Amino acid sequence: MTITTLKLNLGPQHPSTHGVLRLILELDGEKILSCEPDIGYLHRGMEKMAEQMSYIQYLPTVDRVDYLAGFFYSELLCRIVEQAQCVELPDKVRVIRVMLLELNRMASHILWIGMFLMDLGATSPFFYTFREREMILRYFEKISGQRMMYNYFVFGGVRRDIDYLEDVEEILSILPSKLDDYEKLIEENPIFRRRVVNKGILEKETALNYAITGVNLRASGVDFDYREQDYLYKGFDIGKVILKEKDSMARYRARVLEIKESMKIVRQALDYLKKSSPLEQKLINPINLKLPEGDYYADIEAPRGIASCFVRSTGEKEPYRLKWRTGSYYSVNLLRKLLVGEYLNDAIAIAGSLDIILPEVDK
Amino acid sequence: MDWNKFCEVFADCELLGNKILIKSRLHDVIEFVTDNYPYDMLKEIIAIHNQDGLVELVYHLYSTIDEENLLISILVKDRAESIVDIFESAQADENEIYDLFGIKFIGNDKLKRLYMPENWEGHPLRKDYVQDDTRLCWNDDNDS
Amino acid sequence: MNYLYFLYIEFLQKYNIPKLFGDITYYFIPFCIIAAALLVVVLALVLVERKLLGFFTQRKGPNRVGWWGLLQTLADAFKLLCKENITPDKADRFLFNLAPILVFVPMFAALGIIPYSSEFTFVNTSTNVILYLILAAFPVLSIFLAGWASNNKYSLFGAARSIAQILSYELPMTFVILSSVLLASSMNLTGITLAQTSKFWFSGWFIFPNILGFIILFICILAELNRCPFDLPEAESELICGYNTEYSGMRFAIFYLSEYAMLFANSMFMAILFLGGYLSPFGKYMFSSSFLIYFEQAFWLFLKASILVFIMIWIRATLPRLASFDLLKFSWVYLLPLSILNLFIAVIIKFTGGG
Repeated sequence: MTITTLKLNLGPQHPSTHGVLRLILELDGEKILSCEPDIGYLHRGMEKMAEQMSYIQYLPTVDRVDYLAGFFYSELLCRIVEQAQCVELPDKVRVIRVMLLELNRMASHILWIGMFLMDLGATSPFFYTFREREMILRYFEKISGQRMMYNYFVFGGVRRDIDYLEDVEEILSILPSKLDDYEKLIEENPIFRRRVVNKGILEKETALNYAITGVNLRASGVDFDYREQDYLYKGFDIGKVILKEKDSMARYRARVLEIKESMKIVRQALDYLKKSSPLEQKLINPINLKLPEGDYYADIEAPRGIASCFVRSTGEKEPYRLKWRTGSYYSVNLLRKLLVGEYLNDAIAIAGSLDIILPEVDK
Repeated sequence: MDWNKFCEVFADCELLGNKILIKSRLHDVIEFVTDNYPYDMLKEIIAIHNQDGLVELVYHLYSTIDEENLLISILVKDRAESIVDIFESAQADENEIYDLFGIKFIGNDKLKRLYMPENWEGHPLRKDYVQDDTRLCWNDDNDS
Repeated sequence: MNYLYFLYIEFLQKYNIPKLFGDITYYFIPFCIIAAALLVVVLALVLVERKLLGFFTQRKGPNRVGWWGLLQTLADAFKLLCKENITPDKADRFLFNLAPILVFVPMFAALGIIPYSSEFTFVNTSTNVILYLILAAFPVLSIFLAGWASNNKYSLFGAARSIAQILSYELPMTFVILSSVLLASSMNLTGITLAQTSKFWFSGWFIFPNILGFIILFICILAELNRCPFDLPEAESELICGYNTEYSGMRFAIFYLSEYAMLFANSMFMAILFLGGYLSPFGKYMFSSSFLIYFEQAFWLFLKASILVFIMIWIRATLPRLASFDLLKFSWVYLLPLSILNLFIAVIIKFTGGG
């Protein structure tokens, strides 16, 4: 008997590929024999663009590398420039940045919960999570004028002093009860548990070999959170979330717990900011800004793994070479291994659990 | 970390802080480093097209155990050894570098154009890439 | 039924039209009534579902077209009517066009055998229940045709899943229906309804001796209707839209329409088997005139069915989708033994004189 396999093009236009990911699947019945991700449908040439723009021209565009976590990428570029110019950030700027980054991480994870449940076929949590995310986005809009592409961090500081702290207070007071609601609605649901517990097991060695970072790695039991080494987070008490289960459920739990940990960090930042004096910062003059010759490198713990930026400057106004490292790019590569042997409807859930965002993959 | 052992095996390499400049035997170097030192993750491969026409590949290794970075740098012309058999994540990076810099990785048979069309000539992140490419303008004059 | 017949003949005689004409044309009347009622019911159902889902997810739901969004579904239906009917190039044209018709006809027929009130059953045979079962399972054929003829891999997956699903859920469903038939000693839907009459309010309904059977039937019908959490055949996040991925315009509208009509028909079927059908829950009717009683009976049936529909929508808003293996396992491992157990209980109740 010969086994006939079926080639299925999952995407690029498909409701659950979170953008325009194309997976070329080889199927035997509904069982996946091989998976070949094909990306590049959302490529905007961020790296090529950088070589023709001055740093300040490039700064507003970097939010688009990942539209769900824009602050992280502006932070990276600012950090590169600050590093090159040897600028020490004032404490208040640091705390403002940490608070916004953590709020952004919360927004990103909250959205992911909705998307993941959508992949599993439950539609309601999607709307609930949008409602909660909306509170955070409203706040971002108030302080930066934008909901997603903030362009709020500038070289050497932030664009204007932080305000509307009572909104953050409100977010922190409402969110825990909503998270409890999710727990009741989602986690204790037997159907949900059947679909995520022991599904998509990502071994520690595999995860490291595939350069998976961030929550996905920590859900596989690796103790690695870049925020610990980050100078920005100096003085903050960071609770790491490390789970041992390695499955989709662990990745879900890890994100929920990480939202709670982020809330604690935001609380610390908020307490500091409430007592702080008005902002005093020394911005770097971006006009004719030239970085000294050399290589610059900056990392940050973004919601989807470690993001990093590499800049080689030759002393010109434009970077000679700029490279982004994004977490999702490696998660897509992991699909080659993780989906093999799974059934189609589990595969969607597993791919969803890795939190792949396509603009980040395609850059 | 004790790099003496490394320098004994690979004599022609240069150590600069946490950066190692090598001239050849890329695969062996990385295999040796991962076997003998606690580097467990290939964070990324950075490619830079230098002004002298060579492409510099920087292999960014990371150790999650003692949180150390290691950069291994090599200059190549248009060919390099693939390290997919050591780090699976290299598949993603090598593919990207193949697409944007035109480096062939020997031993990696899954290379294909990622961002650019299959039949695209030229590699956009090379410095010798023609920027005002007529192929990018969709007007009737270029149809032929 | 005779009531309607006499009304019609009487009406014709007023205008001196021969009785023979009436005898022939009479059979078209029920279908006209069903078609008209169906359209209203489906349009209302779609709106209600969207409104309720909006309510469950803290949105407003449709509220732009007409007051309270009342005309929204009408506008959608009109839009679908105006859209192009696209047939994919490599599709099997004949089967592709046949499938929507095949899903529509049995659904119509199934609505014809439901006893809406003591006198309004358009087709009343002694083995109504079996007829209904056959008609209710018929759409799977058209789903398979649609999936196969579309020449689309997603459609094919949807069709294959649908077949597997209906095959495995048909069996427990039949066993449960059998228990109701046994309790009523009748295979006629009117007979089953009347067997649930009792002196004291709704104590005679079969749901009380047979609550397990009701739950099993409810689950089976959810599966049969491809509704959440059993919506694998049209799993949006996996198979785009399943078997009707390639359908557009009016043909899609027909699939959509029949899905909701089937939802309502099956809810009424459930209400008849377990909730006393058109019987009033108070044991007696509010109206005394026989004509108004028929309307009241229809109202009770619709109300009971609506409550079931509400629960189904509620479930849809709450639960994620089952995994494909669990779906089959759930049926064969849990539902089938339970439904057989349920049948035993029904037998015991019947022969100890409880029911």
